[in-house]
Amino acid sequence: MNRQPDRKRLMAAVAVFITAAALILCVGTGSVRILPGEILAVIKNKLFDAELPEQITQSMAAIIWEIRMPRVFTAFAVGAMLSVSGAVMQAILQNPLASSYTMGVSSGASLGAAVIIILEISIPLLLPGAAFACGLSTVFLVLAAASSLDGTLRNSTVILFGMILSLFVSAIVTMLSAAFSQHMQRMVLWQMGTFAGRRWTHAVGLLAAAAVGTLAVSLKHRELDVMSFGDEGAAAVGVESGREKKKLLVIASLLTALSVCFTGVIGFIDLAAPHAVRRIFGASHKYVIPMSGVIGGGFMALADMLSRTVLSPQEIPVGAVTALLGAPFFLWVYFGTRRRERE
Amino acid sequence: MTYALEARNLHASYRKGGEEVLKGVDFILESGQSLGILGPNGCGKTTLLRCISGLIPFKGELKLMGDDPSGLSRREIARRASRLLQTGEAYFPYTVEETVLQGRYSKSSGIFGGITQNDREVLERVLDDLDLNAIRHKQLNVLSGGQQQKVFLGRCLAQESPVLLLDEPMNHLDIKAQSELTDHLQEWRSRQGHSLVGVYHDIRMAARLSDRIMLMKDGRTLYYGDPAGALDPGRLEETFGFDAAAFCGL
Repeated sequence: MNRQPDRKRLMAAVAVFITAAALILCVGTGSVRILPGEILAVIKNKLFDAELPEQITQSMAAIIWEIRMPRVFTAFAVGAMLSVSGAVMQAILQNPLASSYTMGVSSGASLGAAVIIILEISIPLLLPGAAFACGLSTVFLVLAAASSLDGTLRNSTVILFGMILSLFVSAIVTMLSAAFSQHMQRMVLWQMGTFAGRRWTHAVGLLAAAAVGTLAVSLKHRELDVMSFGDEGAAAVGVESGREKKKLLVIASLLTALSVCFTGVIGFIDLAAPHAVRRIFGASHKYVIPMSGVIGGGFMALADMLSRTVLSPQEIPVGAVTALLGAPFFLWVYFGTRRRERE
Repeated sequence: MTYALEARNLHASYRKGGEEVLKGVDFILESGQSLGILGPNGCGKTTLLRCISGLIPFKGELKLMGDDPSGLSRREIARRASRLLQTGEAYFPYTVEETVLQGRYSKSSGIFGGITQNDREVLERVLDDLDLNAIRHKQLNVLSGGQQQKVFLGRCLAQESPVLLLDEPMNHLDIKAQSELTDHLQEWRSRQGHSLVGVYHDIRMAARLSDRIMLMKDGRTLYYGDPAGALDPGRLEETFGFDAAAFCGL
């Protein structure tokens, strides 16, 4: 009898439960410690008008509802989007090191943000809008250049053009930073990424984007599986790999561009989360895509919690925390499962 | 009569206006028959299989079960012809079962395209036939080259397409595994009525597995006919450029 799917479903349920617990922990941790019961009471109060218990003050409720929760959910959504995007890129480009960053999303977005910072225009949403537009434009440039040379979009061509354009655009950003040194600090800080000051509008918008993007990619789980074996192997079983590759590259880049434009460039999660998920759940994208979203999102929320609490009141850039925490976690998952496989 | 495959004066090149790799290939394969293709490296054997799979544009006439493959969708081609590639590489830890099930993609339908009961039945049959049951939950990357080759063949068989295109199916297999695979293929063919096109390097193996043999050289058909005629020492020497019959002990 085949018990594998049952086991995986159980593991997925456990992962969702642990992630939910991690999110509650993240909301509760900070300069003011808040218990899970108090968090639930505030949520009930805000959503269903339930009465607040006496020990919860209005300022505590505001900390939970107005500051911590939007920040934690923004971090979760961004972690989920980056991880799903990374899983897609690794599969279709058949490269364990590929990510949307390989396609130039982050360098393009950084250029867009840098131009707006230098021009000192302060119109709401202009900076994220410019970052988003430039991030996606870079990806389309990479795809156009790769298609014109090689209509079938061979993986090596896409990665090569992505890397070249990404480095080229990064060089322009560096030149701009040097030329307009009075804006350098803001540009560098933007590139480091942060979730500070994120509101419910960010959280809800990004959560919706994460959910839609993850669903759209999940519907392609069989194509992703087949394309992991290469274009010719994919064609042999009936997948229009060129067309599917373009679609998936665009969806993955959209997810990354949306994350980057609202929070800056945060690395490592997109690379490590899908690999860790594959080690736990196997290679099938039926599990890899949704679980990358869940685990990557939870991990990002934890990393953000550490970034704001370890050296409190000072914040560490969250990108540094994801790498510092992620590298040992990744090694533990990787070598742990390898040891179990040998046994 | 509709044939499994028909090729008349087939020409193909990888780039528009580029050097032709196929410069005149002709053959007709009846449904249920088996064709073995022999020829030196670079003579266009794999290119011919790619043309049949609709991956390369061509000139001349080519029909896969009565239709020009360039007018068919990728999924429809996969429903008609499955192809075992020369190399298959697993970048991620897929299990044997997951890999074989990928062969069911062209039969899937609906927005979710889930695995059906019929898919499961085909999976069980293929795993049984190829003796893969004991390793069905193993990951491909821990298997030997020969075992992996069997898994990829399983993926082809799971497609249940009437035409099987096998590019060097005996790659990585020891002689026992080659013998077993030959038996599997013969049995599968007789049971399912498949047409089989195989590219081989072993002349005896090709003769054993095939009803018809095509000898190719420089992108052209040198000989197309029964296996006995293909074993003619003069023809083999013309094809391979040396006394291949003596080398193979024919």
